[in-house]
Amino acid sequence: MKAPLTGLLLAGLVAPIALGDEPVGVQNPPSAKPVTRADEVVPEVKQALFAAKILTCAEQGPEVIDHGVILLSGGRIEAIGRRGTLEVPEGYEVHDLGSDWLMPGMIDLHSHVAGSFDINDTVYLTNPGVRASTAVVPRNPNLTRAVAAGVTSILFIPGSGSNIGGQGVLLKTGLHDYESMEIRNPGSMKLAQSGNPERYAWGVARSFMNYHTRETLKRGVAYAQLWQAFEDGTGPEPDIDLQFEVFRWLVPHMAQISAHTQIYQVVAESLSMVVEELSLPLFIDHGTIGAWRLGSEIKRLDVAAQLGPRNVDAPSRGFMGWSQNIQHEGWRGTAVGYQDAGVKDIGFNTDAPVMPQEELQLQATVAVRHGFRDEAMQAVRGLTIIPARIANISHETGSLEVGKHADILQITGHPADPRSAVERVWIEGHLVYDAEEKREY
Amino acid sequence: MKTMKKQLIGGALGLSLALSFAAPSLALLADDHEEDSYLAIVGGDIFAGTGEVLRGATLLSKNGKIEEIGYELILPDGCETVDAHGMRVYPGLVALSATTRLTQGTFAAGVEIHDFVPHEEHSEICGDCGKSFEEIVPPALDPGEFSTEHLATDAFRTDFDDSFDPFSGYMVMALGNGITTVQQSSAAVKLKRGDISGVSLSEKTLTSQSWSGSNPAGKADLREKFRLATEYLADYRRWEEAVKSDKELKEPSKKGIDGRILDILEGRTMARFSANERADLLGIARLAQQFKFRPVIQGCVEGWTVAEELGRAGAFAIVTPRTRRDRSETTTHEGGSSIENAAILTRAGVQVAVVPANTSIDMGGISGRDLLSLPLEAGFAIRGGMDERAALESITVVPARLLGIDHRVGTLEIGKDCDALITDGDLLHYQTFVQYTVVEGKLVYDKQEEVFYSHIRPRPEAAVDPGEEVSGEVESVEVEEIVEEESDEE
Repeated sequence: MKAPLTGLLLAGLVAPIALGDEPVGVQNPPSAKPVTRADEVVPEVKQALFAAKILTCAEQGPEVIDHGVILLSGGRIEAIGRRGTLEVPEGYEVHDLGSDWLMPGMIDLHSHVAGSFDINDTVYLTNPGVRASTAVVPRNPNLTRAVAAGVTSILFIPGSGSNIGGQGVLLKTGLHDYESMEIRNPGSMKLAQSGNPERYAWGVARSFMNYHTRETLKRGVAYAQLWQAFEDGTGPEPDIDLQFEVFRWLVPHMAQISAHTQIYQVVAESLSMVVEELSLPLFIDHGTIGAWRLGSEIKRLDVAAQLGPRNVDAPSRGFMGWSQNIQHEGWRGTAVGYQDAGVKDIGFNTDAPVMPQEELQLQATVAVRHGFRDEAMQAVRGLTIIPARIANISHETGSLEVGKHADILQITGHPADPRSAVERVWIEGHLVYDAEEKREY
Repeated sequence: MKTMKKQLIGGALGLSLALSFAAPSLALLADDHEEDSYLAIVGGDIFAGTGEVLRGATLLSKNGKIEEIGYELILPDGCETVDAHGMRVYPGLVALSATTRLTQGTFAAGVEIHDFVPHEEHSEICGDCGKSFEEIVPPALDPGEFSTEHLATDAFRTDFDDSFDPFSGYMVMALGNGITTVQQSSAAVKLKRGDISGVSLSEKTLTSQSWSGSNPAGKADLREKFRLATEYLADYRRWEEAVKSDKELKEPSKKGIDGRILDILEGRTMARFSANERADLLGIARLAQQFKFRPVIQGCVEGWTVAEELGRAGAFAIVTPRTRRDRSETTTHEGGSSIENAAILTRAGVQVAVVPANTSIDMGGISGRDLLSLPLEAGFAIRGGMDERAALESITVVPARLLGIDHRVGTLEIGKDCDALITDGDLLHYQTFVQYTVVEGKLVYDKQEEVFYSHIRPRPEAAVDPGEEVSGEVESVEVEEIVEEESDEE
């Protein structure tokens, strides 16, 4: 699955073949030395972390462990439990974190700050072949701040200047080179339904954009089906088309469409075109400006939503607002609207640098302030396991469970409270940030 | 809530006993001051903003001023009450650098008109309105023929009270988030609802001065102005003494002396500098120490690197804790922004006021960075290590102090304006809502009576109980409307 950067470029030229759970690019030429993650990241030291409280965000088992301990080994979580019941074996470096809490590293599925900003090329109105992975700059200042704010994984995506801007890449923020950072490429295909691509040319309005997007999606699906037929032995070998390779990940739901979509009618179009008509995997990104009123439909189609950075609908009576014809009167939290409708997976995003990458936490803050119910740790889950599940990386990260990557935050309190400061961050067992050395956020 | 109640306070005090005391005192009051208006905030935990906390106490306002804070107060007849049991009471917040959106008014004042020099930057005139000098000055006033006589006729002075919209919905939102006083341009303005009298607390709060490494001539010029003004003041004091014995002695000439600098040196206003870079901050600190004034530094991003120097200079800092700025690659010393800025400055003795990144009300759907999130912004200062008390002061009494209005607002103390918030919890906690806001002894905001936040975690007693008799007809209609609106949306 992991290939070095040079191999990656080649991998795009050659067809990915589905093996087991995940697609695997054709391996590098035999002469190229493969660089595995394990070579790069496995720490020698085994560690035991003691904390007053551990928010596990686990699907199964306890969500909160008081007076907990986590054992780290080989960059992964070896064991997790209550102090006293979980023995710390010999040879572990013990860190007692006092009254601080531990929680999984936060995940932002809408970020533009992992590298240069020249990935919003708008070559065509739809250019699914463009890849954000080519623009990654490891350890850039924005990523450093992301780590300091506890954001350990991001989906780095092209901008929304085109209807299909290209492919995002899922990255670990705090590691030192691209090969170590990459979680999955393609991480998603960026679809921008409305609200930016209009400026591509005169006459590009919603109906034309929808027509054009649909045609591209249909071509992509057809391309993936041709390859599927070839792999099944029922068709000839198709020519490779770099523009449509990503559909070979989308059609079998191995990557998702991250849809910049907001405003009631636009989200309705995302749902009906992409999900219902073409059966492609999609999650709602932004999902704001009144779109929460589609909640029952979003729930029916079992679509997940990553909300932000607009996080409220402003009162419309007597004010100029973005809420258009919606007649609500008070400040309406977006997240609580989805929650009231029963949407299961609600996460948060920043659209960094629209909001600074370090303000992911604040999106949960604002949601809870405006009525989002945090009873079952929903705010914390929306920063961790839910985005992990949406991006289909929850088998590796997003919660503190045995076997998963040790992507862990030491934080002074509830992450939805802006007063809670991130003290230390581990990514895959590496201590990548320590506020004691210099507090960045 | 709005119904007038005759109420007696004090958990332990017997009702009948209290009545016997209350009756005669009320009679006296009624005779002497027929039009006195009273409001009592009853039974809340009062966080006075001075460090003191009185649990379950009562605050009594008389004619808009705080008359009494304490226990077992006997309330006058006709005293309006706000039940704050189980809630907290805080001083109203003071928001610096607010845009005109809050009041819809353009507050332009504080300029020493006779010092008005054409073609210079005059941000005092219209704040950040973006207008050029020529746009502000009416065509009839040719800048080339400028004279103070024209200006004395109020040619372009805005009348505060006339430009203030006492019914602005934005203002109600600000009140609903705890803001009772704002600084707009050079004026300090009380957010009075439905009332325009006395909204202006001060028309000459801060005087903008410029000190920037990119403008060495400007720095030299300002230093010279301070030198001349200081000399003038020394001359004037000598003359004041000398003239007692020699009546013929001529008063020193004010010619060439910058009146705004005199105001700064004599404490009628404070000098505000917009500065972020370490070298500029050090320069301002030295200037202030040399000429003995206390600077207000807006921005102050690298203040944490020179906090001791700023502390010794008695500086005020207006900071946004979340500001980010990369360290300059051209320097070797510490620099750039730090989340610890507010905390480090405070520990060094700098008076720190906090403002959010956006000092307007964001109607575009981004919450958490605008003026409505002022306590949240103070929360980021806490994140950086500021203690909770300093964080509260950074949005109450410190801004009041640097505006020179702390004798009126900023803390809950006897004799000050009764501008108080009643909250359902720690003001600096992100889930806390202001339930009631009182400005100058008048209840001007009730969360359950306004559309903005009434649907979010409604206050329990506001829930409509069909079996319960609702006291006023109007009130009951309003409650029903709120319920209908909510059901429409679901």
